[in-house]
Amino acid sequence: MSADDGPGLYVESTIIMTTVRVVAPFVLTFALFIMFHGADTPGGGFQGGVIAGSVVMMLAFAYGIDSTRQWVDVRVVAALASGGVLVFAGIGLGAMALGGNFLQYNVYEPYYYEASKYGIELVELGIGGIVASVAIGLFFLIAAGFGHVTGEGER
Amino acid sequence: MTPVEWAIVALALLGAFFGAVAAIGIIRMPDIYTRAHAASKSDTLGAVLTIAAVALALESSLSTVKAVFLVIFMFLTNPTAAHAIARAAEDQGIEPWTTEDEQ
Repeated sequence: MSADDGPGLYVESTIIMTTVRVVAPFVLTFALFIMFHGADTPGGGFQGGVIAGSVVMMLAFAYGIDSTRQWVDVRVVAALASGGVLVFAGIGLGAMALGGNFLQYNVYEPYYYEASKYGIELVELGIGGIVASVAIGLFFLIAAGFGHVTGEGER
Repeated sequence: MTPVEWAIVALALLGAFFGAVAAIGIIRMPDIYTRAHAASKSDTLGAVLTIAAVALALESSLSTVKAVFLVIFMFLTNPTAAHAIARAAEDQGIEPWTTEDEQ
């Protein structure tokens, strides 16, 4: 668990683990807040997605990268990324199917009166899922790369 | 000026002062541990004091609550991040700077 392939033996710090345990739910809530408020305030899917992805990075810093890598299910990350693309493309192309332009939300309004608002929210959520999963994946890729580059010989 | 306005100005000035101290510390200190020391303490204080000034200046309730949450999380996360960086540096085997390195 603590013996990852990085330089030296990583021992978890109680301070970092406790802080991460306290802060992580708030960070995830904040990420959703940013995503849902993207339409009318600063923020949006990209920023919220990065914050959501940073929760996993925080866990990795606290509990060790390898144990987090085992804990994170690759299928969930892949499903988030591809599901986000599906949501985005589905809403965008669905509007075209109904005779509008790509992502023209108001063509949905005959079916649901607040379709413009919730259409934007859904697209933001989709973007957030993509960004979060890509950030998580990139983080684990970079972490694995450092483990190979700086082997035992370094320092 | 009302006492609250004086408090806002004082908090903002103190926050800017500690932010400047942190910046000078990061530039002038010799190695990662001393820099983390300078950055974590005075940077946290600078940010927290500045946000406290913001919280006082925003008299509306919801924004003040948000600013207070920011202060709390600054106090929690900033020193923890510095601790994590210092730990990682120690983990990597970086030797702390001593006065013998001066020569």
